[in-house]
Amino acid sequence: MALEKVMAKGKFDVLFEPIKIGPKVLKNRFYQVPHCIGAGSDRPGFQAAHRSLKAEGGWAAMNTEYCSIHPESDDTHRLSARLWDDGDVRNLSAMTKEIHKYGALAGVELWYGSSHAPCMESRETPRGPSQYASEFEALTYCHEMDQDDINRVQEFYVEAARRARDAGFDIVYCYGAHSYLPLQFLSRYYNKRTDKYGGSFENRARFWIETIEKMRKAIGSDCAIATRFAVDTLIGEEGIEIEREGVKFIELADDLVDLWDVNVGDIAEWGEDAGPSRFYRQGHQLSWQKFVKQVSKKCVLGVGRFTDPEKMLEVVRNGELDVIGAARPSISDPFLPQKIREGRLDDIRTCIGCNVCISRWEIGGPPMICTQNATAGEEFRRGWHPEKFPKRGSDDSILVVGAGPAGSECARVLLERGYVVHLVDSAEKVGGCVNDIATLPGLGEWGFHRDYREVQLGKLLKKSRDSRLALGSKPLTVDDVLQYGADKVVIATGAPWVSDGTNCLTHAPLPGLEQVHPYVLTPEDVIRGTKPIGRRVMILNADIYFMAPSLAQKLTEAGHEVTLASGVELARYMRFTLEYPNAQRMLHELHVNVMHDVWASRVEEGRIELYSIWGDGYRRQYMGPGKVPRKANATHKWYDFDTLVVVTGRRSNDTLYRGLKARQGEWAANGIKGVYVIGDAWAPKLIADATFDGHRLAREIEEQNPQEPKPYRREAAVYGSPYQPGGSYEIQYAV
Amino acid sequence: MKIIVPVKRVASLDDEFEMREDGRDVEPDFCEFDLNEFDEYSIEAAVQIKEANPDAGVEVIALTIGPEDADEVLRKALAKGADRAIRIWQDALEGSDQIAIARIIAKVVEREQPSLVLCGAQSSDHAHAETGMAVAGLVHWPHAAVITHLDYRPGAQSALVERELEGGLVERLELETPAVVTIQLGINKPRYASLRSIKQANAKPLDVLTAEELGLSEAEIGVPGSLSRVRRMFPPDRRRSEMIEGTPAQQAARLLEIIKETLH
Repeated sequence: MALEKVMAKGKFDVLFEPIKIGPKVLKNRFYQVPHCIGAGSDRPGFQAAHRSLKAEGGWAAMNTEYCSIHPESDDTHRLSARLWDDGDVRNLSAMTKEIHKYGALAGVELWYGSSHAPCMESRETPRGPSQYASEFEALTYCHEMDQDDINRVQEFYVEAARRARDAGFDIVYCYGAHSYLPLQFLSRYYNKRTDKYGGSFENRARFWIETIEKMRKAIGSDCAIATRFAVDTLIGEEGIEIEREGVKFIELADDLVDLWDVNVGDIAEWGEDAGPSRFYRQGHQLSWQKFVKQVSKKCVLGVGRFTDPEKMLEVVRNGELDVIGAARPSISDPFLPQKIREGRLDDIRTCIGCNVCISRWEIGGPPMICTQNATAGEEFRRGWHPEKFPKRGSDDSILVVGAGPAGSECARVLLERGYVVHLVDSAEKVGGCVNDIATLPGLGEWGFHRDYREVQLGKLLKKSRDSRLALGSKPLTVDDVLQYGADKVVIATGAPWVSDGTNCLTHAPLPGLEQVHPYVLTPEDVIRGTKPIGRRVMILNADIYFMAPSLAQKLTEAGHEVTLASGVELARYMRFTLEYPNAQRMLHELHVNVMHDVWASRVEEGRIELYSIWGDGYRRQYMGPGKVPRKANATHKWYDFDTLVVVTGRRSNDTLYRGLKARQGEWAANGIKGVYVIGDAWAPKLIADATFDGHRLAREIEEQNPQEPKPYRREAAVYGSPYQPGGSYEIQYAV
Repeated sequence: MKIIVPVKRVASLDDEFEMREDGRDVEPDFCEFDLNEFDEYSIEAAVQIKEANPDAGVEVIALTIGPEDADEVLRKALAKGADRAIRIWQDALEGSDQIAIARIIAKVVEREQPSLVLCGAQSSDHAHAETGMAVAGLVHWPHAAVITHLDYRPGAQSALVERELEGGLVERLELETPAVVTIQLGINKPRYASLRSIKQANAKPLDVLTAEELGLSEAEIGVPGSLSRVRRMFPPDRRRSEMIEGTPAQQAARLLEIIKETLH
């Protein structure tokens, strides 16, 4: 073992010291806090595989996502775990069983949402401390509890805690962060009661304290009792403030709790907790979290997207936290603890903080994906392990054209599998579009996506004599590829932004932009500085993600006057990644002039004609062929600009692929067995999905037609098998 | 018309490494080996001359000295466009210094009678920058070191070369050929070999000769044939950082101690 590795091993020893939590012991300081993945109790294979893989990777404990204790707390359409009945106990026990194989602990976060749980499946009505309408949900009110209701809901917690123990969980939470029920009692923002559960701090704390006491009495000798507590709700004295009621509650409940899991924020803006890298660096909650250890005698853990082992060490050594909590870094690299222990720091697949994992939960519960780790969520259904790869299935040599997210991931996995690979790009650096994106304000950490692949490719190429990374080469022509001598060719040439204004609203170019003009720029033009930019900039947007707001920020900060005209809901996807609230604050603070619900009819030098997309008459009427069945839109107006930036859409750069396809007859004579396309070159998509494409193709390259994904194992309800043990599946009416 | 390109398999070090037991080199387990970067440029320069004159019958010959491991750099040269490759080895070559190596190259040059010998300006591991010039001395040919431009037409009696001097000056030289030049990084853009040319290169036979077969006696090679010897190779002592540990009070005490030590 090299010296560095030996040193690293000793250096991080502090992070590998066991720590006691009630009746259990965490074997080290790496802890996967509860986080959603889209498995819940419905996909036990996914749940068990995703969590136990991290146990294999060295984490001391893995939790479920938030876990509903009763149908009154039903978050459908989003996907929580559930411990409502024996069916859930059976399904979740798959996870605990798999985790225990690695000597790690399994935890479950018992959750009651009150108004924040819309109960769209169960159709029940949640109860709450006072009646209020959720600021997070649409149209959900809770029923204000009386003493009987309180007793009943506390019974739900206790019954769910018993089921959790029966399912094999070692750590059982009473979840009071993200504005869920116990915190609602504690916070004046929700609790307007005047009885013994409202008013004074002690009264407001009563529900939470009683609930933990009851849980503890029921299962405290078998399981560690944890509570997740938002120690500051970031809204001032209306809510919880760390140095006032935050530490006060820690003191009050300390004897009842074995493990504190502390964070900040609420539910409506929970990006203040799961902070995107665009706005927050690692450890961004420490200014609040560090107070907890000053008053607690118990084990304290917290998140903060800790990605750097040095920072983790500092946090534990300085006594700010006992245990490093992680959600996103554990998704990005399930083997983070093992790599730190072995001193393989440059093998860590560092979380980029894009929050695309979170976006899936926000969208409503499709399986989680990860930009960095293409195997996240694919552990069970595709059998993908992030660190282990099947040996190559042939001696085919493979040419990958394009070293962006898809191409570099494909080449990496092919090399891991032992293939001879040539990865060719005309750019001087691996990374493709990430090299542009990572220069945008706040997105520097997105460059970790490139860095991981760059480092791994460098290592793998040293072990593969005939493989090459050919950067800065002339763009390959169809003839070049035909004559390259590869058995298989993978095209990953990306998808640049269009300059002609083609967009999702009209599906056509914008009149006036058919030719390239010096005053019209694409996002790449702006980022690479290839064209001069005037004082007054108009950004025309038809993209729902970050490009338009990012360019608005970049240009405003560079001194331009920016108007952002958007025909689609600006930054809609950033709601899902939790970047939206601060992105809006940023646009406001920078005085970006945002025009919503407008689109453009034509462009001339120095001016653009915009119209209201709702300006065409609300009464629909058939008026014969050739006529639109609405009143003509008469809202068109000209707006002046010096520079127009079109963020209207992307188009696959598929010239090479189409050219090769047209000469398919020459493939065999040139020794080519197949040509495949991955990532944006097939169709523009998220970086996460492009990376997935590259990874998938590399794993399935020996298949008859690797262009088409192999089917994955589906987990769904099975007709003929009742979910409830001993239940029935026949159609039965109560008549 | 032939061009000889001597190439070297060089070592690069891992971040952390250990020295060999005799203290005269790095333990090879801690090294990674590859074609000398400078030689990428000399190969490219030779191949460009060949390609610019397709009818001139230019043959590019890659040459290396080393045991079987060194074949990989010859394969790389072949994949990039060299036509033929020669490797010279016998155990007695162990310990040869750069002059002894030049003696071997000179023997091959005498045998092959090329019009040009294109060496890399130096090897990236030992960085003597002597071998090429020593070859020129041994064969008594015109020479120029560290050139940044090369203009040569096969059959011509001279080559035009440029060298970069201090202060941005350029020296343009006309060399009578045959000549030996050493090539600076950046003179061209070395190509990447395609899979086809790698596969073809892997299938080509390599000429393997001993120094003895070239007519060199044991006294002219290896340790006996070398006038310089490595006495010791070592990383110089570096100032080490110290991690101050303990309670805040202990840390403050230690810090004060260090400040006092430094002041005295």
